Amino acid sequence: MKRRIFLKNTLAAGTITVAVAAGLLVPRRLLAADWPKSAFDAKSETDAVKAFFGDVPVVDSDAIKIKAPLQAENGAVVPLKVSTSLAGVEAIAVMVEKNPAPYATSVQMMAGAGALYSTRIKMGQTSPVTCYIKAGGKVHKASQVVKVTVGGCGG
Amino acid sequence: MKGKILTLVITTGILVLTVPLARALSEAEVKKDIEEFQAFFLKRFPSLSLEDYVDGVNALPQYAERRANWELLMEFPPYETEMDEAAEEWAKPFTSGKSFDDCALAPATVYPIYDAASDGLRTLVGDINACLAANGEKPIRNVKRGKMARLVAHYRSRFNGQRMAVNYSDPGARRWYEKGRQYYWAKRGQLNFSCAGCHVQNAGNKLRGDVLSAGLGHGVGFPVYRTQWAISGKPWGTIHRRYSGCFQQVRAKPFKAQSDIYKALELYEAIMNTGVPIKVPSQRQ
Amino acid sequence: MASTKMKIKKDKSGGHVVMVLVKHPMETGNRKDKKTGKKVPAHFVQTIVFSHNGEVVAQAHLGPAVSKNPLTQILLTGAKSGDTVAVHWTDNKGDSGGTETTVK
Repeated sequence: MKRRIFLKNTLAAGTITVAVAAGLLVPRRLLAADWPKSAFDAKSETDAVKAFFGDVPVVDSDAIKIKAPLQAENGAVVPLKVSTSLAGVEAIAVMVEKNPAPYATSVQMMAGAGALYSTRIKMGQTSPVTCYIKAGGKVHKASQVVKVTVGGCGG
Repeated sequence: MKGKILTLVITTGILVLTVPLARALSEAEVKKDIEEFQAFFLKRFPSLSLEDYVDGVNALPQYAERRANWELLMEFPPYETEMDEAAEEWAKPFTSGKSFDDCALAPATVYPIYDAASDGLRTLVGDINACLAANGEKPIRNVKRGKMARLVAHYRSRFNGQRMAVNYSDPGARRWYEKGRQYYWAKRGQLNFSCAGCHVQNAGNKLRGDVLSAGLGHGVGFPVYRTQWAISGKPWGTIHRRYSGCFQQVRAKPFKAQSDIYKALELYEAIMNTGVPIKVPSQRQ
Repeated sequence: MASTKMKIKKDKSGGHVVMVLVKHPMETGNRKDKKTGKKVPAHFVQTIVFSHNGEVVAQAHLGPAVSKNPLTQILLTGAKSGDTVAVHWTDNKGDSGGTETTVK
């Protein structure tokens, strides 16, 4: 993809021009300085969890709700939504155990964001998809298997 | 020409001529066909109302394990940005100064339309290209996907919620209907499948990893935005694109988009879906 | 055509769901170009930052395992009508984009 500068769009959207000028679109402060490279590069889920959350105890939780298809329509676009009633959620991470690099995506939140994250991920094959949530000093997790099959009617 | 007919006979099992020679059913017979067709599905899937069929395979109980794909994708449909683009493409004036809205296209609910003068069928795709030609613009060459599909999607979406009501009062229309009907029910291809075999007799059943959609609901959601097609960069498809794909899958030689056969099929399906609301575009696998 | 699109919907919980669609190839670096036979280099969104009235409320980390044209959704709490919500993304090549809107 060519370097498509988003400023090009400002010609069409007046509000964005104003926002850029006002410095509104460039975040004044970033939560975490770096993209968690070691987590994304980890080849095992356990390593990925440690890389992102550090050495924090991991416990199963039934307070985590995962909405994901039981069977994917297409392994390249598997939508999923995770939410929880746990209080004080700081981060959510999504991992696909059977992917070559299990760590798919994560989000870190401040007080102004609630305990919800939705994304669309790639899955190479049928695999458990596990959502890890850091809340109250612990990492809570819940899992769901998503089947990835070969279809019959593509065309 | 003779060789071509012979090939068609072998591959399709029925003789197909370029001029529809099928007899015209009476209006009452067509009406009965519609009632029986729809009653079959309403009985087979008692939890579904006629309107539920607009969501295609997603409405079927057998699709429960996969429905979340569609539900989640529909929270922010992947086709949305392209529909904005489509609206712009539709509104853009021709060099003549006019635009598509000046071409007085018929409501989406009545296509395909029988044209007595030519004894042919007018489809929305054909009318869009005719509109371009009438305004000195080049017709769109690829009529199965891309820009044409987006334009059709934009126009049809204006009629969302309105029910299909194709006119078959002219015997010419009913001759085309009969051709489409025969085609829908005839077996074809190396796999010897008919449209009805999968989408009527086996609606809701599995075909390898997939669930077969019901014939009731076919067409009202086209053009379709498919995840599978999106991955290869060509997400949009008209109903004729899907017909081609399906023909290939049963190992039958596909026909060209806007060919008589596909128009006849489109007519048959549109009439079978009389009373079903339009819901365009549709997001599918 | 904008490469970033945002929608905000009121949520049953009282908050606002913020959905961002970024038009992006999300190349893993493993796919081979059919014409050249060579691998298409990795090109994917890495970070999406969500701001509410100028304050960062969430930061999403994406990798190549996220689908093409990624859709990312978070829940904004405590937003009122008239507030500004902005998203800004950057990818592994240094490209970036974003958009902002007003809460209805």
